[in-house]
Amino acid sequence: MLAVKELLGSKLKFGLIALAIGLVVSLTMLMSAMSEGLVTGMTGAKRSLDADALVFQGDTALSLERSMLTDEDLAVISSADGVAEAYAVGHLIVTIRGPQGSFDAHVFGLGDAFDQLPITEGERRSPAAGEAIVDATAATEGIGVGDSLSLTPLPGELRVTAFTEGRRYIMAPAVYVRLDTWRSLRAASLLAPSAIDGGDTGPTRGGDPVDGRPTTATQALAGSASIMAVRLAPGVTPSDLSATLSPAFEVATPEEASLAGNGMNVMVLAVNGIQLVSLLIGAMVIGVFFYITTLHKSGQIAAVKALGASNYYVYRQLLVQITILVTLAAIIGVVLALGAGSGMPPAMAFDPDPARWVLSLLAVYATAYVGSLFSLRSILLVDPATALDRAEH
Amino acid sequence: MKMPALEVTQLTKHYQGGSGRVTALEAVSFTLEGGRLLGVLGPSGSGKTTLLSIIAGLLRPSSGEVKLGGSAVHLRSAREAAAFRRGHVGLVFQDHHLVPYLSALDNLLLVPHLRGHVGDADRQHASRLLAEFGLEQRAHHKPAELSGGERQRVAIARALMNSPEIMLVDEPTSNLDTERGQQVLELLRDQVHRRGTTCVMVTHDPRMAAQADQTLRLVDGRVATNSAAS
Repeated sequence: MLAVKELLGSKLKFGLIALAIGLVVSLTMLMSAMSEGLVTGMTGAKRSLDADALVFQGDTALSLERSMLTDEDLAVISSADGVAEAYAVGHLIVTIRGPQGSFDAHVFGLGDAFDQLPITEGERRSPAAGEAIVDATAATEGIGVGDSLSLTPLPGELRVTAFTEGRRYIMAPAVYVRLDTWRSLRAASLLAPSAIDGGDTGPTRGGDPVDGRPTTATQALAGSASIMAVRLAPGVTPSDLSATLSPAFEVATPEEASLAGNGMNVMVLAVNGIQLVSLLIGAMVIGVFFYITTLHKSGQIAAVKALGASNYYVYRQLLVQITILVTLAAIIGVVLALGAGSGMPPAMAFDPDPARWVLSLLAVYATAYVGSLFSLRSILLVDPATALDRAEH
Repeated sequence: MKMPALEVTQLTKHYQGGSGRVTALEAVSFTLEGGRLLGVLGPSGSGKTTLLSIIAGLLRPSSGEVKLGGSAVHLRSAREAAAFRRGHVGLVFQDHHLVPYLSALDNLLLVPHLRGHVGDADRQHASRLLAEFGLEQRAHHKPAELSGGERQRVAIARALMNSPEIMLVDEPTSNLDTERGQQVLELLRDQVHRRGTTCVMVTHDPRMAAQADQTLRLVDGRVATNSAAS
């Protein structure tokens, strides 16, 4: 009764408080979405590989850039105990010449595992030799479905058959090609273009689509794949597989692997720290708001306690107000965060994750209740006897 | 002889002040029969409000006893005293202390609300009280929209909401001009006599105290005169 009537009786005051808390909530939401966007932008293509475990070359610290596996390695991994299925994954950094200028991209060669890519536009099929499925953020560079990508300094082109989403790596779009296409590109990247043009790399002649037939020599130089993605038999863990394989390999889950290298650990720690700080600031703001409000009406609290209200009753009114205001603030905050997100350029790291937002909101509620403990202390300290004139004490 | 509704025996209260121990009340004793209005008179600092606070269970005495209807008030814990005030005590504050964001009617309904339930009977009782106090047209006005006299009348009506055994009234006319103060006092006296409620009213105004059924004059925390004894 008291809590709701007080809110209704001071709509402007509490509306401003809800707005202020809403701004804190939106800051928390934005931080969450931007950090998630940053992590997705940095690791999305690696983290989202459909696998129970990723197997890397040994001593490469789970680095996609440094790991290289041979045909023999692939055979060893595929036949290892506990491996149900496996497919090779190749990785290569390239520069693409687009209509708006050159931009970096990461070519991923996949061995018959294209079903894992969510198609947002274009043809729903595995790419043929010389074709690619590209992360939709490439559209910001003027790339469209059906376009041919010129890779520099590599000769040859890749035709875009479809766009996928959430597949960026080190903030650049991923380009998914067949493994044999990747091998040709990888081989070409290791040899001078002139050597390719005039040598034995027929499939990569300047201007022609890469058809994916590298020579034995270039393949030996380039390796067969960067890593291997495996699905494990029931009950088998990545640690089991690691124990089975020799130290010549490193095994990790896609999540663990995504946090390795490129300073990801430090970055994740930093963004988590920023989120934690924004939550703490939110808790302090909310706590201080209600503390000041409680102090401001200590005379009224004293009178209500003198009339017979318990401390629990007064605190319960405060909790009801906090719940209502934080709920209002959550609505304001989510709307503001979504509005801000929709106004951001597509290439900007903004990836709202509903689960993380719910967690953030729960954290805001929790911190608000914790912040209310400041007020509880002042409620407990209000002496109901002060409701009567204490002048003569 | 009629059994006293209120018995105060050898009541003493010390405070620890900045300059040492301060004695607010010393060996105060008196009795008050049920259905009578006691005016407690005295200069500022004489212990009037301390006496009222102890009777209400808001303060615990340093020594002595307070019995209300034969039951010891001074032995109650803070929680027990709060429950007792909710059910049996009507408090009127000097500054009325109406809840500013509640209407006059809702301020009255606050009393049953604190007891845990507001029923139709409570609403009817509150409306009747407001009508008795000439406030039926002001029932949905907030305190800021009422005059000083109206606010004090709402405060007295609120104190009657729980049909109290005792009303404790602190300087009810101090913020009112003489005419309005007299009207409030007459209203209070009328309610006390009609309902048979025992009432202790603190005032610094001898003219107001003189209109009570019994007067107690405190000076420096001691009983200087008690009209019942004379």
